[in-house]
Amino acid sequence: MDQESTNILTVDGLNVSYGNFQAVQNVSFDVRKGEIFGLLGPNGAGKTSTLSAIEGLLKPQSGAIIVDGNNAKEKPLHARASLGVQLQSTSFQPELYVVEVLQLYAGIYGVPLSKDTLTAMLKDINLEDSATKKFGQLSGGQQQRVSLLIATIHNPRLVLLDEPTSGLDPQSRRQLWERIEAIREKGNAVLLTTHSMEEAEAVCDRIAIIDHGKVIIIDTPQAIIDKYRNDPEVISVSRRGKITLEDVFIALTGKAIRA
Amino acid sequence: METVIPKTSVVLSTLLRADFTTQWRNRRAVMLTLIVPVIILVSWKGLIPTFGGPFALSNSITIGLFASGLMGYSNTVARDRDKGIFQRLRVAPVPSWAIMASRLMVQLAMILLITTAVFIIGKDYDGITLTPIAYILTYFTAIIGGAVSLSLGQMIVGWIKNPETVNSTTRLVYLAFIIIGMFGELNQLGEAVHNAVQWSPYGTVKTILAAGMEPERWNSNASIALLAAILYTIVFATLGIKWFKWNTK
Ligand SMILES: Nc1ncnc2c1ncn2[C@@H]1O[C@H](COP(=O)(O)OP(=O)(O)O)[C@@H](O)[C@H]1O
Ligand SMILES: [Mg+2]
Repeated sequence: MDQESTNILTVDGLNVSYGNFQAVQNVSFDVRKGEIFGLLGPNGAGKTSTLSAIEGLLKPQSGAIIVDGNNAKEKPLHARASLGVQLQSTSFQPELYVVEVLQLYAGIYGVPLSKDTLTAMLKDINLEDSATKKFGQLSGGQQQRVSLLIATIHNPRLVLLDEPTSGLDPQSRRQLWERIEAIREKGNAVLLTTHSMEEAEAVCDRIAIIDHGKVIIIDTPQAIIDKYRNDPEVISVSRRGKITLEDVFIALTGKAIRA
Repeated sequence: METVIPKTSVVLSTLLRADFTTQWRNRRAVMLTLIVPVIILVSWKGLIPTFGGPFALSNSITIGLFASGLMGYSNTVARDRDKGIFQRLRVAPVPSWAIMASRLMVQLAMILLITTAVFIIGKDYDGITLTPIAYILTYFTAIIGGAVSLSLGQMIVGWIKNPETVNSTTRLVYLAFIIIGMFGELNQLGEAVHNAVQWSPYGTVKTILAAGMEPERWNSNASIALLAAILYTIVFATLGIKWFKWNTK
């Protein structure tokens, strides 16, 4: 009961396979209302596959996914209506202008958009002059802002962002972190993936370290560092005498490979 | 808080608006699908007294339908799939059939546009007119012909993932249809080819179109061609949907 009221997403015993290859193995975690949760793992760890199962883009072999009280298997449309999504590589019809793309997604999420709202939205992401540009004509940072705006256009309770800051310059990255935090301020939750330890430490309330399709540990970044601070393995990989999340990550994923 | 799913009617009309806008922005490509049909109408003017108006009109519409289904439909689907445009739509609370239904409505509009354009040019340039019933019937046979061409396009885009390969394959099939279809039709390639062409997707579509333009001459041959066209559609569409993946990875 209590769990149901605090969790916006529950993933339980998730398994995803591509043919004989099991990309996600018995992954369980939950995202609480109003938190920023990070899935942290190297390339190929199974982050995108986990998100794809939550988004309903692929059918998991087994496991339960509950989004805002809706079982994703039984009520896929309800589950998706509670989600805002930014895929790892976002693309929109290159023929459409930015305003038209916004109108398209507002429409399919059932959000009425007045001209004034549209203008205000574009202004909020500093793109008021780009309304009649095509998506492909925008810079990487601008595209990023548009696709985040689309991911949040229906004020979803949970926003999924797959490597949102990869390829951004430091300024755009900082700005995006602030926008992600603004989602939390509104009381909504964010599940993001990253392979940047710095990002995980800077914005995530809790993280799950995932490698080879398995969750290794789930906790707050600080708690994870504290827990392994005295681990000889961690100390041996640390540099300059300061233990960072990255040291723990390297030590942990190293161990997992040997195991 | 209850989760609200947007109404299907709103979702569909939004998708339609975006898809028609996209098609409008690609109007130059749309014009290209009309080029060969127009060339036929213009260059065959001298043949019309011998072979009759329906002969020119039906070949012209058939070519137009295959151009639109093969090169228009398959290539946009292949491109949008490769760019992840479908995946982004699919994570919205939108049923997958609605995404495709909207695309098919654009194609239906294309079929009607091609047919109407051929009627108008055929009348103005070649002086070919049909009875009102024949015009109406031809819109129906054109829709069936369009279904053959779209399902063939779906089969190709289901079978082949790479958009460039889809592009060259559809062009090749289209070219083969023009060459074999028209020359076989004119009996330039011998009796065996003529028969094979007649029962090919090209030939059956052409036959039902021509027969619809002269309803009084609709015969059992035309009925069998109609059945064959429907059968082609079912087979192509079944395979095309079965093989189709929403992403290319
Ligand atoms: N469509 C697919 N077919 C086969 N293998 C795949 C497919 N998608 C991903 N994989 C494999 O599954 C593993 C996890 O991939 P992914 O979830 O994309 O990882 P991440 O997002 O963490 O980089 C990788 O080994 C990848 O090669
Ligand atoms: Mg990934």
